[in-house]
Amino acid sequence: MTKPQSPPRRLIGQGMMRVDGDGKVRGTTRYLNDLAYRGLLHGAVVRSPVPRGLLKGITPDPDYDWSGITFVTAADIPGINVVHMHDRTMPLLAELGGEIRYRGEPVGVVAARTPERAAAAAAHIRLDIEVLPPLLTLQEAVAVFKARPGAFDSMKDQSIVKGDLARGFAEADDVLEAEYWAGHQEQLYLENQGLIVFPQKDGSILVEGSIQCPYFPVHELNDPLQLPPEKIRVRQTPIGGAFGGKEDYPTMLTGYAALPALKSGRPVKITYERNEDILFTPKRHPVWVRYKTGFKKDGTLTAIECDFLLDGGAYLTLSDVVMFRGILHCALAYRCDNVTIRGRVARTNSMPCGAFRGFGAPQAIWGLESHLDAIAARLGKPPHLYRLQVHARPGDVTPTGQVLSGENGSTACLKLALQRADFARKLKRCSRGRLRRGQAKWYGIGLAFFGHGAAFTGDGEAKFKAKGRVELTRLADGRPGIDIRVSSTEMGQGVHTVFTQIAADALSLDPGRIRFPLADTGLTPNSGPTVASRTTMVVGNVVHRAALDLKRQIESFASRRHFKGAAVELRRSQLVAPGRPPLPFARVARDMLAELGGASGFFQFELPPETKWDQQAFVGDSYPGYSWSANIAEIEIDPLTCEIDVKRVTAVLDIGRVINPVTASGQVEGGLTQALGYALLEKIGTGRNGLYDAARLQTYIIPTARDIPEFDVQFVEYPYTFAPPGAKGLGELPMDGLAPAIANAVEAATGRRIRTLPITPEAIFAALHPAQGAPAS
Amino acid sequence: MSTLKRTWKVNGQTVPIRAPAGRRLLDVLRDDLGLVGTKESCGEGECGACTVIVDNEPVVSCLIPAGQLPDGTAILTIEGIEKTRIGRLIQRAFLECGAVQCGFCIPGMVVSSYALLVKNPRPSTPAIREGLAGNLCRCTGYTKIIQAVKLAAARLPKRK
Ligand code: FES
Ligand code: FES
Repeated sequence: MTKPQSPPRRLIGQGMMRVDGDGKVRGTTRYLNDLAYRGLLHGAVVRSPVPRGLLKGITPDPDYDWSGITFVTAADIPGINVVHMHDRTMPLLAELGGEIRYRGEPVGVVAARTPERAAAAAAHIRLDIEVLPPLLTLQEAVAVFKARPGAFDSMKDQSIVKGDLARGFAEADDVLEAEYWAGHQEQLYLENQGLIVFPQKDGSILVEGSIQCPYFPVHELNDPLQLPPEKIRVRQTPIGGAFGGKEDYPTMLTGYAALPALKSGRPVKITYERNEDILFTPKRHPVWVRYKTGFKKDGTLTAIECDFLLDGGAYLTLSDVVMFRGILHCALAYRCDNVTIRGRVARTNSMPCGAFRGFGAPQAIWGLESHLDAIAARLGKPPHLYRLQVHARPGDVTPTGQVLSGENGSTACLKLALQRADFARKLKRCSRGRLRRGQAKWYGIGLAFFGHGAAFTGDGEAKFKAKGRVELTRLADGRPGIDIRVSSTEMGQGVHTVFTQIAADALSLDPGRIRFPLADTGLTPNSGPTVASRTTMVVGNVVHRAALDLKRQIESFASRRHFKGAAVELRRSQLVAPGRPPLPFARVARDMLAELGGASGFFQFELPPETKWDQQAFVGDSYPGYSWSANIAEIEIDPLTCEIDVKRVTAVLDIGRVINPVTASGQVEGGLTQALGYALLEKIGTGRNGLYDAARLQTYIIPTARDIPEFDVQFVEYPYTFAPPGAKGLGELPMDGLAPAIANAVEAATGRRIRTLPITPEAIFAALHPAQGAPAS
Repeated sequence: MSTLKRTWKVNGQTVPIRAPAGRRLLDVLRDDLGLVGTKESCGEGECGACTVIVDNEPVVSCLIPAGQLPDGTAILTIEGIEKTRIGRLIQRAFLECGAVQCGFCIPGMVVSSYALLVKNPRPSTPAIREGLAGNLCRCTGYTKIIQAVKLAAARLPKRK
């Protein structure tokens, strides 16, 4: 008789060690710049020295030695001079006779045997530009928007309307209006941008590099390169951080390298140094957001009116969708029957902004969570009790008319965070600009509460239909195993580990038999870009279902081949049938590989059929699911220097099923630290010449080990049951709310509300001493 | 440019060095010796990704001209660290604590942690923060890295 089987060991929910950790702690993981290639040319981008003008001439210095150097301009583009992106307006290289629209806009590319020679040659390209007056910053754009709305240049408008705003204000007992600002934020992945384009004999190209979304270059460069998708193959090298920064930009970089590669017939590598990476790659969009809110004496919100303006930079690229995500979060988290939100993307003469963790949501939540505290103060209600009163929960209707499902831990996040941080008691100890007994510094505690729409906006997932395969294969040791084939990229967030856990559980196999090769568009089905907090939720479901598909195939093969048609189950790496001795997986898999040549499970994601989204009206189910979180910041401020010390941060999150609590809490701590930088440190201004004033790590300051608070990270699990194993979005949520929590704590500590990020000691000093301005430093 | 002729001890092995005098130590290690575990991120001494140990002191190798280092200089890189007991303890603790994400800062972090623990086998939390303050990490929020250093310290054999 067979022994009773113990239940399969579950990896989901366990802090399994990272599958890619060993090479990373030993320094043996090979990132792009660690790989040796022969015969490469190195590319250097020739950039506009002015933020706006007419490009009249491009002249290589006739006295310079150009031998061995390939130089390309827009005239070398085989097809149409455009990078597709979302509106097909941005040229790959500035066109002769056309308008330069931002400082650093690429005009040409030089490729040479060494990076030094390429850079030297690039400096010998003379540009003749008739300078035009630029509009450089969001501040200037907003000034136009306020004074002469007709002259305001918006690249995309979108509104959300719910109920009747006029009636909402008529019902209000009080109205509060305020504006909030935030500037650029740089992703600052530690590994700079880089890739290599290898021209192939058949005219196609192979691209290798630090690329977050390998399918983007495949589909965004067909017009300029005159190559169909199947002639652009992209392979990911290990990614040293991305955070959205390697989402849209590597497409442009691929274009820059492809032109000299196609012209010279030699592989061309472009890799940036830190300064070039900070100055000339996309950043988080600066925001200006104005809230006007009506509310009753009891606190009921009767009207929310919101203008949400992003600085898109010189071209739209993907800013429309960033703005959509922004406005969808501008009033998501609170109950209100009458809402009007107007989103716009301002055109300025600056580098186009792009993807950065959060993708518009942190900008929206920054405004909303600051403003909600201000409303509570006006009402004389403690900020936590006010949020408990008006926050959104299951059954509530979002501004686009989506009914929030019961898979929603909003209330649980709020309550647990308040309890763990002892918020109510500590709120009473806040200094409000006056040291209390026993305090050497001003003390403040601040709260933010928010949701984050997980996966693509609207019907994106329904249209996209993420695909993935799980294949039976022979591993490096010659024994059978499994390959996960999805295009999700490992950037540090841990997808290789959590997908290994998901596949191992679905197949009931040892995780050591499962491999997750780096994405390669030649081999990997398109499961979509690694963005939008969609990976574990959507693609994790694809892996789970594809693995179950393969499991069924293995079981039915074993049934036929080894068990005479009996019902067979793959369980704990064995094929078991009642009343028979079990067979090891390896044995059956070997037979299957030998007799069938292989096998693979496949799945294609679909949303529930009842999901409704009308993009035109911007009405319906704007996201498949929502994650929720409450953040609480405790801070101290030195009354003399105004220096801010964040002592403790409590974060409670509902991300659905937690697949790996260790990688998940690591994501949260890292995201909160980026949000801390956004709140307090990370600042980029724009000079009159259109150049950012922070080009180095000396001037663009990110948090160090000295700056971080004590983190208390907790999860409450409300799984997304439609898509087992039931994860919701995680990646972006920790970036969303800490900045307003800190601003609210600053208000509690000083009695002053700061409405511009980052909140520097100078800003606090200026708020405390409005007459004096900033302190002399 | 004059050519440098030196003999260093790199990861315990005697290695002849031939390089232009102004060449950065980082380039000698990565390009000439193939020790690419050491990373470059800023090239300006601000991020710590290129940290190696020179004569028992952690340094940022992107700021050191190779010509500054005399014959007999002892250099320890991430490739040599794992041959030490402390190094292996640190690597294991990083893995167990989940202190690794994208990994790009990690060789520098491991090297700085090693330098710290060699000098101070029982560091306090503030001492660990101080010891790692020159190493930027954009992924982890440092918390698990600090935990890992503590764990490694706790496992060090007690000295008499
Ligand atoms: S690369 Fe040396 S400190 Fe950044
Ligand atoms: S793990 Fe990515 S920078 Fe530290």
